[in-house]
Amino acid sequence: MNLPAGELNPAALLARRFANWLLGWWRIVHIGAVVGVMALSRHSYGRAQRREIARHMVLDTAPVLVWFTLLSSLICMVIARIVVATALSYGLTQYALEMLVRVLVIELIPLTAALFVAVRCTIPHGAEIAVLHQRGVLQAQRARGIDPLRHEVLPRAVAGLFSVALLALLAGVVAMVLAYLVTYGFTTWALAGYTRTVGRVFDRVVVVVFLLKTLFFALAIVLVPLGSALTDDTRSRISAEVRGLVRLFALLLLIEAVSLAANYG
Amino acid sequence: MAEPPRTVDHAIDRPPAIAHLGFKAGALLGALVLLMVASVLFLLHARGAFDATQRLVLVADDSEGVVIGMDMTFAGFPIGRVRSVELAQDGKAHINIDVPTKDARWLRESSVFTLVRGLVGGTALRAYSGILTDPPLPPDAVRPVLRGDSTEEIPKLVAAAKDLITNLTALTASQSELSQTLANLRATSERLNGQRGLLGMLFGNERDAQRVVATLERANALLARLDGLTAKADAQLFGAQGVMPEARDTIVQLKALLNQTGASLKKVDAILDDAQAIAGNAKNATDDLGSLRAEVEANLRKIEQMVNELNRKWPFARDVEIKLP
Repeated sequence: MNLPAGELNPAALLARRFANWLLGWWRIVHIGAVVGVMALSRHSYGRAQRREIARHMVLDTAPVLVWFTLLSSLICMVIARIVVATALSYGLTQYALEMLVRVLVIELIPLTAALFVAVRCTIPHGAEIAVLHQRGVLQAQRARGIDPLRHEVLPRAVAGLFSVALLALLAGVVAMVLAYLVTYGFTTWALAGYTRTVGRVFDRVVVVVFLLKTLFFALAIVLVPLGSALTDDTRSRISAEVRGLVRLFALLLLIEAVSLAANYG
Repeated sequence: MAEPPRTVDHAIDRPPAIAHLGFKAGALLGALVLLMVASVLFLLHARGAFDATQRLVLVADDSEGVVIGMDMTFAGFPIGRVRSVELAQDGKAHINIDVPTKDARWLRESSVFTLVRGLVGGTALRAYSGILTDPPLPPDAVRPVLRGDSTEEIPKLVAAAKDLITNLTALTASQSELSQTLANLRATSERLNGQRGLLGMLFGNERDAQRVVATLERANALLARLDGLTAKADAQLFGAQGVMPEARDTIVQLKALLNQTGASLKKVDAILDDAQAIAGNAKNATDDLGSLRAEVEANLRKIEQMVNELNRKWPFARDVEIKLP
């Protein structure tokens, strides 16, 4: 492992890179499992710890809440208008609403929320942890008997999960209201039919897939940057961030593909 | 909310203090819980979890296109939802439908259910209630569903279209009757545009067409002669010395003769009237003679009676001797 790369043949180099890649993912999964166990443990929520989690929750969620809601509303209105106008021109208005609910609420909103939280919060959190890791702060804390995972990583992870959940839920509700308004306008006569359509779209499988997808999106955007920051031995901070981004987007893509296959496969 | 500066060093060394942290975190948590509960309740309501329902079982030969959760409509309004589809022991698909109790009034004993699959869009399950005064459909009713599938018509349509295309191909083939007819039509139209035009086309050869032309010319000459003849006849008939003036004079004379005859006939009428009067008088005279005769007869009888009386009263004339035996 410590041999210079130039002294290895290509096959061995490839195997070494694959092993490193696999090891990197394993470390992230391991840290994720440890953080998950901590998050479910009652001892992780002491007074000081709760205060730290609350601080991160407010810092991560409150500033972006309004902006994200406005931005997602704008995107939803544009997409809804396009879908309704297209459905009208093809005489398929009866399917427009169902398509809107599926495209916006089930497919688009969770991904957008996850990406927004990743760019705004969890990737900067990963950078912070990487700095702490490189400066030896985490090792010093460990030496003092303070678990850095519980003290530094867990509050950021819980705040990230919370932020994704709240943003996705809020944007989903706003998107459903906007889809109704764009389709029917400011009237209440179509409320019963709309409710029925939503009920038809959200059958058991779709609800389960939607919840699991949102959960895995949140876990991915929380654990990949934090895990990469803790496990990456690269001295270059930029390189670690780029590697974390690539891992993150690959995982998001995989989750989206699996969810699509589960919903429509 | 004003965002504190978030440099890495700042975040690590001096965490920014947040005023009313507990309240803000609680508000965010509360918002999340509220949204989650509201969403769950809305979805449960949308899926009809809070509606009292009654079960309806539709029996179909083929349940293709029927999916869980699809609506059953009545007059375009959804009144029921497919809860499950199962293959029963009789080999038929049983479609279990939950109908909300408040909408069940539209379903009657005589309701008809159809399963229609269109070319575009999903399968539609529809209910039709022709007689709304019939008894309502009881819960757990089992009804057959009529299947109307537009795609089932496609093979027939394709077969018909194939036949049509075959016929069309046969019609438009180079040796087909239509093609030959068109060729003949073309030759005919060429002949029509030729020197003899329509006549040439009708008779097919120049000689016959020429004979028709000659016949027409002779007919023209005949007509000219007929014209002269008509003029002469006109002069004979209506000229100054013609037949018509003489006939008019004759008619005038005949009219005068008729007038005279009328006067004569009137005189005859008067004579006949006189004769009729004479005959009436004679009849009256005959009647008077009858009565006169009756009177004469009566008088004669009286005279006879009187003579008999005189004879009876006259002593001399009577033989009054009584002769004894």
